Amino acid sequence: MSEEKASLVVDSVTKRFDDFTAVDGLNFEVRPGRVFGFLGPNGAGKTTTIRMIVGITAPDSGEIRLFGEKVGPNVQDRIGYLPEERGLYKKMKVVDQLRYFAALKGVTGSDADRRIDRWLERMNLAEWKSKKTTDLSKGMQQKIQFISTVLHEPDLLILDEPFSGLDPVNVEFMIDVLSEFRQNEKTVIFSTHLMETAERLCHDIILINKSKKVVGGSLREVKESYGKNVIALRGSGFGEILNDASLVAKRTEHADEIEVELTDGADGQALLKRLVAAGANVTKFEQVEPSLNDIFIERIGEANLPESERNEISETIK
Amino acid sequence: MKKFLAVVKHEYKKIVFKWTFLLGTLLLPLLAVVFSIVPMILFTIKGEPTKIVVVDRDGKVAKRLRENLTAEKLAEKSAQAAKDAQFEISRSQNDQLQQNAKNAASGFVFVDYFPGSKTDEQIREELRALAVDKQIDAYLLVPADDKAQFEFVSRKGGDFIAGSIIDDALNDAIRSERLAKANIDEKTLTAINQKVKLTKKSIDDEGREKDSDMLLAASFVIGMMIYITLAIYGQMILGAVVEEKETRIAEILFSSATPFELMLGKLAGVGLAGLTQLGIWVSSVAALVAFVAVQSDLSPFLAGMPTVTPVMILLFLIYFLLGYFAFASLFALIGSVVTTVQEGGQFSFPVIMTMLVGFYFSFAVIRDPNSSLSFWVSIAPFFAPMTMPVRILAATPPWWEIVLSVGINALAIVFLVWVASRVYRIGMLMYGKRATIPEIWRWFRQA
Repeated sequence: MSEEKASLVVDSVTKRFDDFTAVDGLNFEVRPGRVFGFLGPNGAGKTTTIRMIVGITAPDSGEIRLFGEKVGPNVQDRIGYLPEERGLYKKMKVVDQLRYFAALKGVTGSDADRRIDRWLERMNLAEWKSKKTTDLSKGMQQKIQFISTVLHEPDLLILDEPFSGLDPVNVEFMIDVLSEFRQNEKTVIFSTHLMETAERLCHDIILINKSKKVVGGSLREVKESYGKNVIALRGSGFGEILNDASLVAKRTEHADEIEVELTDGADGQALLKRLVAAGANVTKFEQVEPSLNDIFIERIGEANLPESERNEISETIK
Repeated sequence: MKKFLAVVKHEYKKIVFKWTFLLGTLLLPLLAVVFSIVPMILFTIKGEPTKIVVVDRDGKVAKRLRENLTAEKLAEKSAQAAKDAQFEISRSQNDQLQQNAKNAASGFVFVDYFPGSKTDEQIREELRALAVDKQIDAYLLVPADDKAQFEFVSRKGGDFIAGSIIDDALNDAIRSERLAKANIDEKTLTAINQKVKLTKKSIDDEGREKDSDMLLAASFVIGMMIYITLAIYGQMILGAVVEEKETRIAEILFSSATPFELMLGKLAGVGLAGLTQLGIWVSSVAALVAFVAVQSDLSPFLAGMPTVTPVMILLFLIYFLLGYFAFASLFALIGSVVTTVQEGGQFSFPVIMTMLVGFYFSFAVIRDPNSSLSFWVSIAPFFAPMTMPVRILAATPPWWEIVLSVGINALAIVFLVWVASRVYRIGMLMYGKRATIPEIWRWFRQA
């Protein structure tokens, strides 16, 4: 990734709180038109990093550049940030809150009102415009919050656990909105510890743990670098080829398919060619990729996660 | 600047465009009126008259007492009291006085009772039985020796007004009786007792005279208004800050504007709301005074009022703002380090105490506006906003003292707002527990 193409550059950023180093020499770049997954367990330093990007706090060392400019109040209006800890004014009308948040991002007057109406319409919340927060369900509040994040049409959208508390219908709806943003060449950073969602949405990821980067790159690259060259096979007439020790390191028989782990340097295509040449009937030949979950668990390890976290992960594995 | 204004507008509208603001604005003056008028009305309501027996074997005291409790005598006494206090009684006030005397007089019905040769103990028993039977409400035992114990027993023990009227009338009766015994003419004595006519005025450095009593009243009203407004709007700041922290809105706000803009905008917006309310109160009081002044001749009353010049009003406004920003920044700081409004209330106790001390200092300033204490408290941050306006009213100090005081207080505010905004930007993002003093100090250095 070259710096010209990247919209956000995090350059050797370190942030300390007293003796505790929350973020340690973090480097990554985010490109426009792609969804960037910012992954890691709780306490890894995700929120601290995001707060530095949106200009709430400043790094102790290193630099963060957005569209070539050092981040701070000057670029805040180009960012839309949906924090994990969300809140609205309890006794204020929906429309008044949205007007205020828009004004804080520099959108005022009839321009703001038009956008508010459009988004409320789109989110099926038009009739709630004059209601107070306390009258809304949690999911509705979540959607209002999301509207306040995008009203000023930000170039960089940062969403911290955006789907928590949403029902499946609204999750799909939000995903649609996100892909729209991506298609408009906006940059989307998506922070989560739910690997399944990340795997589905993200083009690029970074995985951080204990304030340091563990792995990063495009989802494909990351997966490939963690692939153990495992192939799932189904069919008949494989003969002795699968017993060739120069090609196959390990062979596991499942009920209806065979999983083979190739030796280092061996090529899956070569195996396929030999099978076909030998006249085998191949009904399934699939390069098995590790899931993000596998990578997450392998690199971060279940052992160092708190109890709650472990449960969530095993949930996603199922 | 645009964001700062957005915050100001938001905070202002949040308070002023609400029915509670209208209610509060109307209610407080209404409460003040109710609290001053209702007792007066209650006191003039005629209850059931008190049926009273006066046991006086001699009969002289009882006769004088009955005389003293007639409407004419009561009215005469009130008029004399007014004269002693150097009040000129207008015609309508005189009518009111006569009416009150009539009401008071009709509050007593004397029931005849002949003690004969019964002992005091027997008399008490009999009268008590009558009272229990509700034939009488009270009885008064007059001893033979006027230095001995008098006894007033009433079924309506709580009726302190009737009690005090009896008390007064009885004392007058005894006094008249003693005078008669000593062969002194009552009129002569009244003439001897006539109080001197002393008008109390204060003079300022430019030789202008002011009425001391009016000054005290005006100073009290001004001090009270500043104190109430500061306390109310300080608490509003506290509440608003805690809400933004509690609901985690702070995170969104801080990603949109600088903490300094946000805090200052909040202080300014809430402060403007406070000024709006104060402005409504002041102008309605002014309108009321003007209206009354047109309706009836108030010139003797107004002549005693301390003169208020436009420069003074400007200074009052400046000091109000100085006080507001000093205390409001403290409330904002407190709001950012606590987790709930209740906790904030405990924390803000020292701040409220400081305000109160300033309010009390203003009385010391009224007593001696030129003392060194008055000088120091009218310059000291936190106290100056309460004491300097009073001092200006009482005896305007030399201009350099005002300039010094405004300067020091303005610097103090810059410092306070700076400290508060540093703690605010960290405190607002720290959830979960209330901060300790060392933590606050660390945040302050970190920010």
